Amino acid sequence: MAAVAQIGVRSETFSRARLLGAFYTVVGLAILFFFSRNTHVGELATLGLNTVQSVKAIQLPDIIVPVLPVTAILGALVTLLGVWQMVRGFRTTGWLLGVASSAFLVSFLVWAARGTSFSLIGILSASLQLATPILLGALSGVLCERSAVINIAIEGMMLGAAMTSVLVANLTGSLWLGFFAALAVGALLAAWHAVMSIQFKMDQIVSGTVINIFATGLTSFLNQRVMQVYQNLNNQVTFPLLSQVSPELGRIPILGPLFFDQSPIVWMALILLVVIQVALFNTRWGLRTRAVGEHPRAADTLGINVIRTRYINVILGGMVAGLGGAYFTLGSVGRFDKLMTNGRGFIALAAMIFGNWTPVGSFASSLIFGFADALQVKLQILSGQVNIPSDFLLMLPYIVTMIALAGVVGRVVPPAADGQPYEKQ
Amino acid sequence: MRRRIFVLIALLALAVIALAACAPAPTPAHTPAPPTAAPAQPPSAPAPTTAPAPTSAPAPTTAPAPTTAPTAAPTTAAAATTSGYKVALVTDIGGIDDKSFNATAWKGVQDAMTKLGVQGKYLQSRQQTDYEKNILEFVQEGYPMIVTVGFLLGPATAKEALANPNVKFAIVDYSYPDCYPGAVVGKDCGSNNPIPNVRGLVFQTDQAAFLGGYLAAGMSKTGKVGTFGGLQLPTVTIYMTGFQSGVQYYNSKHNTNVQVLGWDSKTNKGLFTGTFTDPDKGKTAAQSLIDEGADVVLPVAGLTGNGAFTAAQQANVYAEGVDTDQCVSVPSACPVLLTSVEKNMDVAVFNSIQSAINGTFQGGTNYVGTLSNGGVGLAPFHNMDSKIPATLKTELDQVKADIISGKIPTGFATLK
Repeated sequence: MAAVAQIGVRSETFSRARLLGAFYTVVGLAILFFFSRNTHVGELATLGLNTVQSVKAIQLPDIIVPVLPVTAILGALVTLLGVWQMVRGFRTTGWLLGVASSAFLVSFLVWAARGTSFSLIGILSASLQLATPILLGALSGVLCERSAVINIAIEGMMLGAAMTSVLVANLTGSLWLGFFAALAVGALLAAWHAVMSIQFKMDQIVSGTVINIFATGLTSFLNQRVMQVYQNLNNQVTFPLLSQVSPELGRIPILGPLFFDQSPIVWMALILLVVIQVALFNTRWGLRTRAVGEHPRAADTLGINVIRTRYINVILGGMVAGLGGAYFTLGSVGRFDKLMTNGRGFIALAAMIFGNWTPVGSFASSLIFGFADALQVKLQILSGQVNIPSDFLLMLPYIVTMIALAGVVGRVVPPAADGQPYEKQ
Repeated sequence: MRRRIFVLIALLALAVIALAACAPAPTPAHTPAPPTAAPAQPPSAPAPTTAPAPTSAPAPTTAPAPTTAPTAAPTTAAAATTSGYKVALVTDIGGIDDKSFNATAWKGVQDAMTKLGVQGKYLQSRQQTDYEKNILEFVQEGYPMIVTVGFLLGPATAKEALANPNVKFAIVDYSYPDCYPGAVVGKDCGSNNPIPNVRGLVFQTDQAAFLGGYLAAGMSKTGKVGTFGGLQLPTVTIYMTGFQSGVQYYNSKHNTNVQVLGWDSKTNKGLFTGTFTDPDKGKTAAQSLIDEGADVVLPVAGLTGNGAFTAAQQANVYAEGVDTDQCVSVPSACPVLLTSVEKNMDVAVFNSIQSAINGTFQGGTNYVGTLSNGGVGLAPFHNMDSKIPATLKTELDQVKADIISGKIPTGFATLK
């Protein structure tokens, strides 16, 4: 902050506001320049509002727009706003970022779809799916770290839960038993983490790593020795999509394919998001959790049981991670394959940090990641239009997340006592 | 400050996990591992000064040193009876249980274990740095024959094969010489010449995928079919290219305009998930293709591809399997599988092992699996048999005959 003020003092002409204006002007010009290339007047782009999955849904006409006018108008708009900001300055500038990034995104999409079509709803629906396991992992992280226990074992908990859910569901023939078994395994591994890091005050990173290695090894071993041998234990088990349960929901245009052609676990994640956000900031439990995470000594003085609060939070976090694990199997693919979480637990941790240790922030960063991931798949399919090698497109989610969050979030502040074991005096 | 340290530790921990993952997996056929230099070094032999570096010495090559121990020939293992013959296999990253690529190659070794009584053992590569390490491990254990699985193992296999001329190698999906003009031997490619102790097993998969594409085009109602790959490797794109050529051939025959999404062999661009081990990603990739209208999906991505079958099931469209008959290896996918584009690596691996035992091992040459020698082909239609029109089946037979006779080009360069 001090540095910014200094710059402001040093030079009136290059104040932060002017720099911001210059930046948006450049963005506007970039839209005008890049997204008018390789296209011609009158070329159309089609953005589909229907997915094949929801053929039963009421069909909407696709959005068909002319490419050049759209990109020209949006580019000019952003340029004008940027120039205005440079010359006169707006009172608040937060909304500028929203306008500029949406204009950039829309122009890019329209430009990428020039002369062809792609399913807009498909991208959005896939974003939500891709964001779900990351969101659940991040929520698990929020629960643990808000009470000052670092949990890098989310990956391992997810993996263990994913395998257990398939095993139990196939053994018992009940999806719900598989589901609860996943939660139980998450809780069990979390309890282990809690005992090691809270009771024995072991380094929390080491304890988490131990669990990750344990889960990786055990699931790979059991997968190979048990599930490969008795293939009936790895039959496909998935929750029916909501639209399969109640077709009326699936028939709603846009919302149907977007929200109801989804696994119930997607909904559970969204509900959990709201519950945890409200609980963390508006309930007694939430206040205590945050107190324990920020200043355990003070919390203890006020009569809060620090150790018990941490135990409860870590185990709850483990159950949420277990739900994330169940997403991979019961909510998505339906079978277990070794190492199928593929590092989502770690991406979730990053999402939690970018989200500034809040549920809503974590949701935003997982959505950005999911959207960028879904977008890069579409761009690869449209490879004729977008001349970028697939290797680079595969990096897109990571790059976009970093840029978007570094630009918007800036400095994040972890809970003050994060990672420190508590010793009663 | 403290936070920084934690982040550092977290990164370290990540590395630890990655490293832990590449620890050799437990293997079903456990052979008592001989001490590294044992086969070459009889206990009575006066130890030559160069010998006692057991861990680093590539056993077979240093063996013949002591003239006082003529009985301990380095080739004793190879000359032993069939039942004692040991065969090792090094997988690519997908691992032995990917139900397609590596699993099929391993089945070749398993067949040799049951039919020829050889002792088989494998090591799984978790990352690319494991390739050479795993091969070396088996060389040091004195295995007379090592099968390496996958295009990416090419350079590592060449290096070890050249260093250990007494060990027989068979490599799936690769052949030598592999150097292109300007390539640096040992860095960009393995060898400028055929390697006398290596048999390359390559597959003209585009021929089978051509049939798969033709079938897909014939079954598509939306006029769009889709495909995606794991990584953009020639052994992956050969499927996609053949598939596209098959669709185009169908179009020219039937005057239709079935489009292929996810791959274009003209621009060499398409849809890749970047991994062979992520079914959830495969599911989203397939969904994305389906959203664009594809109603037949061909995933060429190992375990990642298995997720595509779930997507196909949910959207009620067709899919095709790869490498092996996936209706058998992934039974739950059977209801959506039109067929599988088979690449019979198991047969090729088995034959190489058999020839190595018989003494007819053709090192320095390559086996090319084609439609005509049965090295590649389409799997049975299983449940779909009744849904595929008889005329389409007859056409497929005709197309197959025409590919074999060379009448139809399948779009990919001929392998040698």
